[in-house]
Amino acid sequence: MILIHCPYCDEKRPEIEFSYGGEAHIARPPDPSAQSDNEWESYLFIRANPRGRHNERWRHIHGCGRFFNAVRDTVSDKFETTYKAGEPRQ
Amino acid sequence: MSGYRLATGGRVDRTAPAQFSFDGQSYEGLAGDTLASALIANGVAVFGRSFKYHRPRGVLGSGSEEPNALVSVDRGPGRFTPNLRATNVEVHDRLTAVSQNRWPSLKTDFGAINDRLGMFLPAGFYNKTFMWPRSFWDKLYEPAIRRMAGLGEAPTEIDPDIYAATYAHCDLLIIGAGPAGIDAALEAAGTNKRIVLIDDQNELGGGALADPSLFEWLERSVKALVDAPNLTILTRTTAFGYYHDNFIGAVQRLTDHLPDGGNAAREKLWRIRAGEVILAQGAIERPLVFEGNDTPGVMLASAARVFANRYGVAVGRSVALMASHDSGWHDVFALAKAGEGITAILDIREAVDDVLLKQAADIGVAVKLGHSVIGVSGRHGVKAIEIARNDGTGKMLVSCDALLMAGGWTPSVHLWSQSKGSLRWRDDLGAYVPDKPNEKVRCVGACAGTWNFGSGLVIDELPTPKDQARIKAFVDFQNDVTAKDIRLAVREGFRSIEHIKRYTTNGMATDQGKTSNLNGLQIASQAMARPVTDIGLTTFRPPYTPQTFGALAGHAKDALFQPTRKTNIDGWAEENGAVFELVAQWRRARYFPKAGEDMHAAVNRECLAVRERLGIFDASTLGKIEVVGPDAAEFLNRMYTNPWKALEPGRCRYGLLLKEDGFITDDGVSARLAPDRFHLTTTTGGAARVLNMMEDYLQTEWPDLNVWLTSTTEQYAVIALQGPNARKLLQPLVQGIDLSAEAFPHMAIREGTICGIPTRLFRVSFTGELGFEINVPTAHGRALWERIMAEGAQFGITPYGTEAMHVLRAEKGYIIVGQDTDGTVTPYDAGLDWAVGKKKPDFVGRRSLARPDIVASGRKQLVGLLTDDPNVVLEEGAQIVADPNQPIPMKMIGHVTSSYWSATLGRSIALAFVAGGQGRMGETLHIPMPGKTHTAKVGGMVFYDPEGTRLNV
Amino acid sequence: MSDTLVRTEPVPTVPFAGGGVTISRAAPMVRYSIRARQPQALETLFNARFPHKIGATEGGIACLGPDEWLLRAGEGTAIPMSEGLPLAVTDISERAVCLIVEGARAAEVLMSGCPLDLELFAAGRATRTLYETVEIILIRETDDCFHVEVWRSFAPWLWTALTTAATH
Repeated sequence: MILIHCPYCDEKRPEIEFSYGGEAHIARPPDPSAQSDNEWESYLFIRANPRGRHNERWRHIHGCGRFFNAVRDTVSDKFETTYKAGEPRQ
Repeated sequence: MSGYRLATGGRVDRTAPAQFSFDGQSYEGLAGDTLASALIANGVAVFGRSFKYHRPRGVLGSGSEEPNALVSVDRGPGRFTPNLRATNVEVHDRLTAVSQNRWPSLKTDFGAINDRLGMFLPAGFYNKTFMWPRSFWDKLYEPAIRRMAGLGEAPTEIDPDIYAATYAHCDLLIIGAGPAGIDAALEAAGTNKRIVLIDDQNELGGGALADPSLFEWLERSVKALVDAPNLTILTRTTAFGYYHDNFIGAVQRLTDHLPDGGNAAREKLWRIRAGEVILAQGAIERPLVFEGNDTPGVMLASAARVFANRYGVAVGRSVALMASHDSGWHDVFALAKAGEGITAILDIREAVDDVLLKQAADIGVAVKLGHSVIGVSGRHGVKAIEIARNDGTGKMLVSCDALLMAGGWTPSVHLWSQSKGSLRWRDDLGAYVPDKPNEKVRCVGACAGTWNFGSGLVIDELPTPKDQARIKAFVDFQNDVTAKDIRLAVREGFRSIEHIKRYTTNGMATDQGKTSNLNGLQIASQAMARPVTDIGLTTFRPPYTPQTFGALAGHAKDALFQPTRKTNIDGWAEENGAVFELVAQWRRARYFPKAGEDMHAAVNRECLAVRERLGIFDASTLGKIEVVGPDAAEFLNRMYTNPWKALEPGRCRYGLLLKEDGFITDDGVSARLAPDRFHLTTTTGGAARVLNMMEDYLQTEWPDLNVWLTSTTEQYAVIALQGPNARKLLQPLVQGIDLSAEAFPHMAIREGTICGIPTRLFRVSFTGELGFEINVPTAHGRALWERIMAEGAQFGITPYGTEAMHVLRAEKGYIIVGQDTDGTVTPYDAGLDWAVGKKKPDFVGRRSLARPDIVASGRKQLVGLLTDDPNVVLEEGAQIVADPNQPIPMKMIGHVTSSYWSATLGRSIALAFVAGGQGRMGETLHIPMPGKTHTAKVGGMVFYDPEGTRLNV
Repeated sequence: MSDTLVRTEPVPTVPFAGGGVTISRAAPMVRYSIRARQPQALETLFNARFPHKIGATEGGIACLGPDEWLLRAGEGTAIPMSEGLPLAVTDISERAVCLIVEGARAAEVLMSGCPLDLELFAAGRATRTLYETVEIILIRETDDCFHVEVWRSFAPWLWTALTTAATH
């Protein structure tokens, strides 16, 4: 069970307090109806799924309740950093 | 082998005998003995039969590395533990152990025919042989193989034992309490660190327990550790897994060593988070590979020393040593000192240190350098060994009753490797040692590759003048893998050790190759003529030693297996004979049978009562979310498919929730309590999912909105009153609410009190009847229910369960998300066009409703089905075809999602997903079911009161 | 009609005592979930100090998240409502029950299933966390006394879990 640093609580907490939320920095288009089918498909379904460094969303669901972003290495499962939702990609 | 108890020595308590049995025969051991030491002391040599060839096997090692001497311990019904290592089982009064994998008995085992047929059972035999016909596998091959190639039998009764579990935290965790671990603990004990020291033995000391010269140091050190206030010592505890961020799983055995464990927990699962870890797990001696090396009485030299010095047990009266490493020499010198007779020392090396030769001469033992053992005689115990010079000349027989092997040492890097620390090959040791750590961890002592046992020669297999293709020289004792099996795998083209392992099963037994991996690697390396480092190393995986399921489950067993959520009213339902079902984690009353009623009869009665008089239903499990803040309406307008901004306070609305892909994920009726306050309901199973989804949008997409969400599912008990008499019953109980149809219409909410308790009273219906849902603070739910039941007697009030609820809603064509939808259903597919706000520019999922696949014709659509035979109730999940005469496989155009007997209508009803269903009104479709293909006509989804006149009264 | 209805509670009224701890159910109280972007607005509305740091408590108020506070007070305490203000006050008095775990082994018993290092969890701290799979809010009142807030339907399970762990 890994430890995850919650950027809101500012402490490392056990993994079971968190839930995973998929790739980060995929903003919902402000006007979905203006999206072409291809653009909308890309927003809905297309993900980077990298081997290595991955910007991804987590939620401290059994803690402070906040969604936040993290950079995790998908090979080593190590967290490089975590940062608050809305902050720029790291 | 003719082992016996030495007159003196060992750490056993000679004043405390213990009576135990093995295979039904009684023996006496001493307190401090293991089953292995006690049986050897009683002259027992054969402990079990091998996995594949059913060869008699004795004890190889002295601890958790033991591959051969697997036994089952029987502590009574449900308390039968197979596959324990006799070297780890502590002897106590009434211990009952049995051997494994033999039939009918250990001495006479019919399966031993496999040994004679050995040439027909090469590596990959099972893979090559039992391939076809496919149908033979389940009925013939698999059961037969299981019977022949088995380990101990699993008990079939429920395990009655109690297991404990805990988390623990420390600054420093030391795993292994041999000299290196103890030194590390002593050094840290002076700091203010919180330290945990764990060891799998019954006492601290590790290798020092087999070295009398260290006993005094050990006693002093253990006392200092016990006295240290910042140190927790866990003995009989195995660290079985090393997980991320220094998270270590360990199992502590609490009662198995006691004659009577009473009601105490048998084992305890420790989940330890450590700031830093020191691994001091020591090293395991390597066997040598030669013909007959699995004969009972052939064992590791270090093990013989442990038996002598720790348990006071001699493994034989005339002991020979086959060494490629200095350590074996020291071991036999120790045996000689303890009083065991040493017959011969053989060493494959042409030269050894003069000091060793001198010591051997001092005890008068014949030494043969440059020699190897090439055979062992004696099937149930060593009688003699055949030896030869390394060049194959000079064959001779040497009589002995035990043969010790000293093949060098393998550092125990299991946990290190599980922590993803890297390894470095050392040619001089013929072993991998820890290199770069991946966690805050370090290895000390023998598991780091540092020891003072001297040096040795690394060798794959002892040289022999015999044909190596015709002898059985074992590498993996537990899985019966021989050197020639590995060479065969190489000849057949396997190059990676991971593949060789799986093909030969080398290292795949319960000991995970503790004594076999390195020898297997050397043999493969030689066969391929490539360096060991080129062919890789198999992965170390938890558990280090097998653990019981009970220990891994910990306290998550029986009543604590998983929470069963019960409503405040559940107790009443239980006392009144409800039959329950689980919905998510909730236990819900399914129906309330009266004497003599089956489910069908009870549900019919309950349904009719609602339609004709009055029904009462516990709806407390419905998810509830309170949405509060100035932007609450704006937020819901973006989430749900229909418009919410214009909803007036006091009114309710059906909300349909899509995922962004356009598919229905949840629904529920929600109420506006105030301009900035909504009371949402969700499905029972969807409560947590919906809240998480809404929080996701709120926090990450629209953080500018001033609105907050709070789960109020458990704040309210909810009693649904449904039926024509609902208002009449409520009237006298409610204060502050005008219940008249004009003042309180369908789909409205009012706040007031009921029986003096504050209530949020909904006028809603999931039955099609006049209905109310009474929300009261949860703790008052049951008392209110009982009051309503008492008041309702005059109206024939009838409690109904989820089954009747399902029938009643189906009669009205109300869908259940998750039953009539499956995650690929749009509002249009479900006939819920009316719930989609066509003028809304956006809501979650809206854009997807215009995706090409969603607007394509021919999608499956929800429709009603009426069977031509009204008495036939279709099976839910039954497939639907248009033409029953088409060849098989038929084209399936849909399936039945809901199907019930409707007592109200006196016939069956069904909902179904059918391709292009809304365009098939009136068509006859065919539903093949066991025995008969039924016909049904497509129609609308509302079977009862389509005008809704019963609602609006 | 203005009669009142008796309460039905999910865990025993009689406390558990043994293994160095007592475990009991706290008396009913009012609980409110209070949400706002900043605590200052709440301090004005409630005329009380609100803790500013996640995990801190102040009086009966615990800060559980950057915009979330849990207020616990005696039965009958009047709570100002939030109508028209950019904040949210929601009654959750009956959502949870509070188990009081007291005694020298209180932290140890809780750590049987709570993954936090409670030896380092100082008196006065509060947090949402888990006991095995069940979400709880843990409040350390004193060194030897924890309040465990748990949703009602999970309370019987947690009661059994804690009283069982106390005997191990």
